[in-house]
Amino acid sequence: MNRRAVWAIARKDIQSITGNLQVWLPMLIVPLLLGVGLPLGLVLGFRFGGQSLWTGNTQVILEWADKLAVGELGTVWPTLTRLDQKLIYLSANYLLAPLFLIIPLMTASVISADSFAGEKERGTLETLLFAPVDMWSLFAGKVLAAFVPAVVVSLVTFLLCALSVNLAAWPLFHRIMFPQVNWLPLMLLVIPAVSLLAILANVFISARVATFQAAYQLGGTVVLPILLLVAGQVTGVLVLSAMVVTVVGLVVAAIDVLLLRQVLRHLNRNQLFASQVR
Amino acid sequence: MHVKRKPFIEVNHVSKKFSERPVLRDLSFSIDRGEIVGLIGPNGSGKTTTVRLLNGVISPDAGDISVGGYDPRIDGEAVRRMSGVLTESAGLYPHLTGRQNLRFFADLYGVDEPDRADALLAEFGLAEVADRKVGTYSTGMKKRLGIAKALLHRPAVLFLDEPTNGLDPEGIRMVLDYIRQLNERDGTTVLICSHLLQQLQRVCHRYLFLHGGKVVEQGSLAELEARHFPGVTLEVETDLVLSDGQYHGIPARQVGPGRIAFTLPDRSHIPRLLRRLTQEAAVYRAVPVECDLETLYFRIKEGTAADE
Repeated sequence: MNRRAVWAIARKDIQSITGNLQVWLPMLIVPLLLGVGLPLGLVLGFRFGGQSLWTGNTQVILEWADKLAVGELGTVWPTLTRLDQKLIYLSANYLLAPLFLIIPLMTASVISADSFAGEKERGTLETLLFAPVDMWSLFAGKVLAAFVPAVVVSLVTFLLCALSVNLAAWPLFHRIMFPQVNWLPLMLLVIPAVSLLAILANVFISARVATFQAAYQLGGTVVLPILLLVAGQVTGVLVLSAMVVTVVGLVVAAIDVLLLRQVLRHLNRNQLFASQVR
Repeated sequence: MHVKRKPFIEVNHVSKKFSERPVLRDLSFSIDRGEIVGLIGPNGSGKTTTVRLLNGVISPDAGDISVGGYDPRIDGEAVRRMSGVLTESAGLYPHLTGRQNLRFFADLYGVDEPDRADALLAEFGLAEVADRKVGTYSTGMKKRLGIAKALLHRPAVLFLDEPTNGLDPEGIRMVLDYIRQLNERDGTTVLICSHLLQQLQRVCHRYLFLHGGKVVEQGSLAELEARHFPGVTLEVETDLVLSDGQYHGIPARQVGPGRIAFTLPDRSHIPRLLRRLTQEAAVYRAVPVECDLETLYFRIKEGTAADE
């Protein structure tokens, strides 16, 4: 693999995002709304209105937590005495996870749909294919260009989320209550692996279709919903131990490797030229 | 014993179809190391496809290709490492500056000379706009940057698709002079696809005429002229009055006031004609009319159409 070329391609693609305000601003605003605004609103809502909630509304979720006293939840749950404390702890640690899957998947989908189809639309794919860069390095550069921003955006959003949620909940807890240790393998393994899955599928689609619009439509209407559905279920394992979350992450990573091998087998310079260069 | 050197580029009986539409049929030609060759042909004659095949970015349906001893189908990377390509659209990134574009391609081509990009920017008159985004460049500036990009890694062979399209007269001269210098200094082999025949004539050693996906004629200007215009035309400014379209048996015609064109079998007849003319009339000027590439192009095209 030509590492210098991989980084050059990734850097160039990332520069095309950071150099265009209309592209990067929505990429930051939406994650901030979903990953910081929404959790903060939830915590503040429960903090100032949780105690007055009708028990019937919260009964089901509280009973569910009582029965699922495993892992960290099992240790912390009995120490929580107030309703608002319980609601904040549960919602922060168990309801937010799907949001942190949506964020990298959205970011990754936009960038990766543009990867090859965008080059074609700008008339630069031909020059790129004339360069002495093997297809593996070209593909890796494109994947990296989507992977790095997706993971960085989700990690930064997560840190801001943790900071704001803990600050908002501090008067009730007087300690860091979010995230649980289970979130570490989720953020550092599961989410990058799921993002990579979306990127691999989208970059492959982008290499096969003619335009960014076609790539984005296919990626957004077929790949993204399936991944969100699967990933949404996967976050359910957060109630179990960190070990289970790690295993889930490793399984997704293994699927990534298999998919990567398949993609590389079906990607060649001739085919890219034939399908995309006019 | 004289051993004939193997050509640098060899194309033998190559054919290529796109969706059952034949683009190249039985294409064969060769180019020696250090030659500047013009690839001439109407739109759709297969010029761009030929460049793509030579670089291994597409594969032929039949036939063999060799560039610098490598088969582009098998050793595409090796061929692409030694080739510099300027595509018709220049293929630059509009959101990057001129300097960033060159640095990006320097990374792709593994160029390790830190000053190479700046030297080329200066050489092609782009130093002052090096930090401006390429999206704001004029067509001519993009074209010059595209050529600089193709030269970054000091390629052994250059493939230039319409290198002077969109350039102003200064730009055209700069680019053509540079190609000639590069060829003389480094022995770079150059294949130029162009419609601008007058410009090709200023740099090319030899020409390949492509029509219907195959080479229908090739050679240097002198060779082509000898084949297609065997006679010599001498244009003379004189007060001679022609009576019946000939002068002492030499075909002649009035081409303007006081200007007569004589058609001779070859140049050896020129001195005798001039001796006789100066004895019988006043002669102010006599110039052999050189056949230009454009005239040849149309003559070859007519010949090809007649053959079909």
